[in-house]
Amino acid sequence: MRRLWLPLALLALLGVAYLFLPKGHSFHGTRLMNPKPVDFTLEGPKGPVRLADLGEVVLLFFGYVHCPDVCPTTLLALKRAYEGLSPAEQARVRVVFVSVDPERDSPEVADRYAKNFHPSFLGLSGSPEAIQEVAQRFGVYYQKTQYRGPGEYLVDHTATTFVVRGGRLVLLFSPEKVEATDKVVADLRALL
Amino acid sequence: MVLFLLLGFALAQEVRVVEGWVRYPATLAVTAAYLTLENLGDAPLRLVGAEAAWAERVELHGTFHQEKDGKMVMGMRPVDFAEVPPKGRLVLKPGGYHLMLFNLRRPLKLGERVELVLKFQNGTQLKVRLPVEER
Repeated sequence: MRRLWLPLALLALLGVAYLFLPKGHSFHGTRLMNPKPVDFTLEGPKGPVRLADLGEVVLLFFGYVHCPDVCPTTLLALKRAYEGLSPAEQARVRVVFVSVDPERDSPEVADRYAKNFHPSFLGLSGSPEAIQEVAQRFGVYYQKTQYRGPGEYLVDHTATTFVVRGGRLVLLFSPEKVEATDKVVADLRALL
Repeated sequence: MVLFLLLGFALAQEVRVVEGWVRYPATLAVTAAYLTLENLGDAPLRLVGAEAAWAERVELHGTFHQEKDGKMVMGMRPVDFAEVPPKGRLVLKPGGYHLMLFNLRRPLKLGERVELVLKFQNGTQLKVRLPVEER
């Protein structure tokens, strides 16, 4: 009996120690198991902008300026998450709004819209062909609807937030998931 | 005539705004108003739209999620009405119903209160003042 006591105590100690081991971060967003390389060049307010030049971690949201509900809801959530990071962390993260309505949203209009939410946010647009190509690469659907006249229509679109790290698409936040600011911040910290 | 006016007044008292806000930031092109309505009466009330002196047009919209080509898509459509059940509430909130305001006549300031006149199918009108908030 005495011989058993020591190994058992050691085993118990190991068990307790295991509880204190640092665990891997469990992601709130949807992780992509095979992160695919992504890059593009679109138009910013001061000329062409390449995704690869935007920083370590880039959060991309596709939307349109004449969008009162879905787009501001997610962009306000991204603002809260961005403001949850320290200044040092913020310097390594970029939030980018890509217009899927290039007809109405020039790069200047898209950028002004993004900066309404946070001065560090960037808005991009481009030719309809360039936007279509980028949207396709990210699996973003968009379609004009409720057309009432030139410049008067709504746009249905995918409202996912895409997280690109080191040139690879690694994480997705649905419009529901992106609302959980603390969890989004924790995910971003785990990526930095 | 007096009776008719009194009736209109009585109807107006049967519905009240519990809370609400107009969303900031707002572009001059569009913004949205959200609010919770409470129906104190015994009959359902149908909100059909609104008017605001500071916007050219107001429409009642509903947001939807849908899968298209295997992709999640969100959009919004004008709706004819949204019902406030008797002794119940109707919540206009992000991702659901909202009042979409088109072509603002002036930029909105964070924290100011703006007036809207809500319109119901039975002719009731309800004047409300909502704060401009970033949420």
